[in-house]
Amino acid sequence: MDMVSMGLLAAMGALATIAGTSEDLESDVGSQSNPNSQVQLAAQVGHTHRIYNKAISGEPPSNALYAALAAVTASVLMSDVYGMNAFFSIAVGALVAAVFNGILSMTSYMGRNASQARFDQYIYLDVLRSHTTTIMAHAYITAFCVVAISYIMTAPWLPIQHPFPLPVIAFIWGLALGAIGSSTGDVHYGAERQFQQYPFGAGLNAANSGDIVTKGEAGLRSSIDNAWFCAKFGGPVTGLAFGLIVFLDNWRTTVFDPATQGWYAVLIGILIVILLNIGNRLLEIRAKKMYGPYPEYAGEIKA
Amino acid sequence: MSVAAGGGESKIDKTKLTMYGVGGGILGMYLAHVLNMLTGTGYFSFLAGLGAIAAVVMGADAVRRVCAYGIGTGVPSIGMMAMGMGLVAAMFGLAIAGVAGPIIGVAIAMGFGYLMGILANKVIKMNIPVMEEVLMSLGAAGAIVILSLSVVISGEINYLDMLNDVVFTGYIAIVFIAGALAILQPFNANLGPDETQDRTLVLAISTGALGMFAAGIGSLITVGVGGGVLTMLIAAAIWLKAFLWFFKLVKRDSAGVVGTGLLPEGGL
Repeated sequence: MDMVSMGLLAAMGALATIAGTSEDLESDVGSQSNPNSQVQLAAQVGHTHRIYNKAISGEPPSNALYAALAAVTASVLMSDVYGMNAFFSIAVGALVAAVFNGILSMTSYMGRNASQARFDQYIYLDVLRSHTTTIMAHAYITAFCVVAISYIMTAPWLPIQHPFPLPVIAFIWGLALGAIGSSTGDVHYGAERQFQQYPFGAGLNAANSGDIVTKGEAGLRSSIDNAWFCAKFGGPVTGLAFGLIVFLDNWRTTVFDPATQGWYAVLIGILIVILLNIGNRLLEIRAKKMYGPYPEYAGEIKA
Repeated sequence: MSVAAGGGESKIDKTKLTMYGVGGGILGMYLAHVLNMLTGTGYFSFLAGLGAIAAVVMGADAVRRVCAYGIGTGVPSIGMMAMGMGLVAAMFGLAIAGVAGPIIGVAIAMGFGYLMGILANKVIKMNIPVMEEVLMSLGAAGAIVILSLSVVISGEINYLDMLNDVVFTGYIAIVFIAGALAILQPFNANLGPDETQDRTLVLAISTGALGMFAAGIGSLITVGVGGGVLTMLIAAAIWLKAFLWFFKLVKRDSAGVVGTGLLPEGGL
């Protein structure tokens, strides 16, 4: 372990935190992944809306695409043939990924809403203009950070020198990031923001499916309002989760040399998992004690 | 058919689409290979990209047919499965058969698809009547898309060249995921009770062109600047045309495309 490795590790953790935050907010502006089904249902149960409906796929595949595309572009530009500076190459790569994201988002919004014609769901071009650019901006930050992490792992002049090529590493990090964003951050948007009119922690009753909030503090709710809400908790928490994953995972192989002390790294990994599990259990018990059972629930009703 | 997942009637016959998809895909690949070999350049790589678009259209129609049975959230998964079958079969075909590899690979992918269809219907008991046939089309589409986009990058059909140019450089990542999204995005983006076949397939042309563009970026190094830029320009032109066409169909099908406004009357 040397100072350079530790510094790089810190940089990767920081980049991952930013990437996680922007990824979750990007998916929230577009209502991608699990909250999407409620947006899709809303018009069908009579709540037409002005919320962006970006059904590209689950977050893992779409983020894998943006990261891999940005990495391919960056690796082409920084190769010996073109010889561009790594920083600018990654910036151009992230730009290409953001444009692809914008195209896929727009076609999803238009296609999904056109397929709901019988429920009077309009396609609002001003929603398309304002939201697509917001989505692209967040996607740019995400792609830039993910490719930067991958570059740190593969660059021949840096100490880590992972044997996989840059696009494959970026692809894997993109998949991981999408999975974290989908499982961590989406709950805040899908369970809380979409169902704000129901008591906190009520869960989603099947009868309430599609009954999402479509009106805002003033006027109709837009998806940028949702990003504003999620930026307070869901986004940062996603960033923290992804940052911790990147940091802790690389920390154990930085402290212990994988070639000579590989087993220590494995043991530390198992220890981290056990500690996190204990922490989660304590948190769960504390939350249950603090908030108690759901107020309307007074035990099983006897037949 | 399930209204929730959508899927209107098919105006274009599936046999015709399969014919054009498989024929166009394989023809594009071999034309690119032969013309590049004869002229000693990489300018004809774009022909393989055009073949990939044909296969994407066929794959998107197959996704559309099977997902009309109500596989809502399974749309992305089925696209990934197509590419998985395609990748394994394509690599196997290339490894054992050299230049004839793509044909063998596509045949094996179709066999894979049929087998998985039988497993899904008989063992897991999904009992979806079109499963075997659709997975066969999807396997073929996946294999052709992987092979065609790889030929765009490598310039010719040669196992060692393809390993060096596509797999070892890591460009296989973008070939895989851009191909998968090209196949699954058209139906996924149009899912709903008022989905129409022509709109979905026009979107397939557009996403296929995006995949071709992405492979074109990779080919800037392997095939050369001329061939790479040509592929990207042609892909961008096809995308623009398909996107405008898609927008026209969206205006035709939707309840209304408005600049701005409140919710329509009757909304809650």
